Amino acid sequence: MMTTSRICKPAETTGNAYVRATAAFLADYAALLSGCGATCIRIEKNTRRMAEAFGIKADIFIMPTYVSVSVWGKDIANPSVAMRKTANCGISFNLNAQLSRLSWEVADNHLDFATAAERFDRIRTTRPTGKWEVLILTSLANASFCRLFGGDAIAMLIVLISTLAGYRLKQIMLEDKRDVRLTFLCASFFSAALSAGGHIFNLGGTPEIALGTSVLYLIPGVPYINAVSDIIYRHYLCAFSRFLDAAVLTACLSAGLCAGMLILGLKWF
Amino acid sequence: MWSDILINILEDGAFAAMAAIGFSSISNTPHRAYMTCALIAAAGHSIRYMLTLPELGAMHIIPASTAASFAIGMLAVLFASRIKCPAEVCFFPALLPMIPGMYAYRSIEALLSCLYHTQEEAFGHYFYLLAYNGLTCAFIILGMVVGATIPVFLFKKLSFTATR
Repeated sequence: MMTTSRICKPAETTGNAYVRATAAFLADYAALLSGCGATCIRIEKNTRRMAEAFGIKADIFIMPTYVSVSVWGKDIANPSVAMRKTANCGISFNLNAQLSRLSWEVADNHLDFATAAERFDRIRTTRPTGKWEVLILTSLANASFCRLFGGDAIAMLIVLISTLAGYRLKQIMLEDKRDVRLTFLCASFFSAALSAGGHIFNLGGTPEIALGTSVLYLIPGVPYINAVSDIIYRHYLCAFSRFLDAAVLTACLSAGLCAGMLILGLKWF
Repeated sequence: MWSDILINILEDGAFAAMAAIGFSSISNTPHRAYMTCALIAAAGHSIRYMLTLPELGAMHIIPASTAASFAIGMLAVLFASRIKCPAEVCFFPALLPMIPGMYAYRSIEALLSCLYHTQEEAFGHYFYLLAYNGLTCAFIILGMVVGATIPVFLFKKLSFTATR
């Protein structure tokens, strides 16, 4: 959920008030960038770029759930520190792209602090992609996945239906603010149970591919990829945290898949 | 024979493109990036398909995935500035169709079979399947991610000025 803006917009561009306000703004910016799934190196670069454009210096400390920005003007011994909780906005490349563009606009077009803060407030209210659009495209994508793994047309149809149902359940549970791990487990179970129909009723020639593919839309790919990027840039703590987060979700979806197979008594033992 | 191969490559690319568009939407990718993601995914998946074909490269799936991911990373870095999006916006949805889902599924299947069978011979067989599928899956993913991230690391300036 987005938090309301806490950025004050000072009239003057020097002095302690300005440094404090800039620290708060940069911390809010970094927390939103971190929440939308940006890598640590991008958060660092974008935040520093804006700080330099505002005529101050900044250091940033990124932890898995918090971001801390230390900002100072002429007096390095008297920095202003702002800490923010990582925004809980879900993965959004749209926000990532807009926030990155904002940092360049500040640096290249010399946007003043007030304008930058105003644009930032506008960006944080960006609406996510429509839920029905995502539901349909994801289902088609998972059906295509099934084809790529060698599934036939019947398997593709089974995967399409099980993804539609499973992803809708995921959307409903997340809208109801259910725990994300429980959501992954339930969605995976639901999709696996539906796609097991191919096995039970002998539909098509590749029911095992339909079953295996039906839960792949849940794989948390962004955290896995970001974890490797963070390792390359030596942000080991964040990398480990992202990897563990993704591994827990993968374990949940595997448990849901196994539970579905066990309950329906599929013969793979 | 070559016409069949060409059709298979095109078919592979088309389904990879569809998968990339779908997974772009999950990650709230800007709409203007959909086609780029689809094209990059189609190119990457087709490259891997060609490299693993016995008639062409006959390469093992792990190096083939790494090479294809490197191509995806390069294309993402090149195209990112055209659509004014960070490079990872382009390469993440393009990488997803290459995820070794069936290896992951077979690993879980073998793991459960291991737990279910107590006799040494059967247990050994399923443990072999678990190790083979699990290791293959893990190294494909590692190769994919490293392959796609290297271009971002190599062309750091280009990658981080894409939204400029």
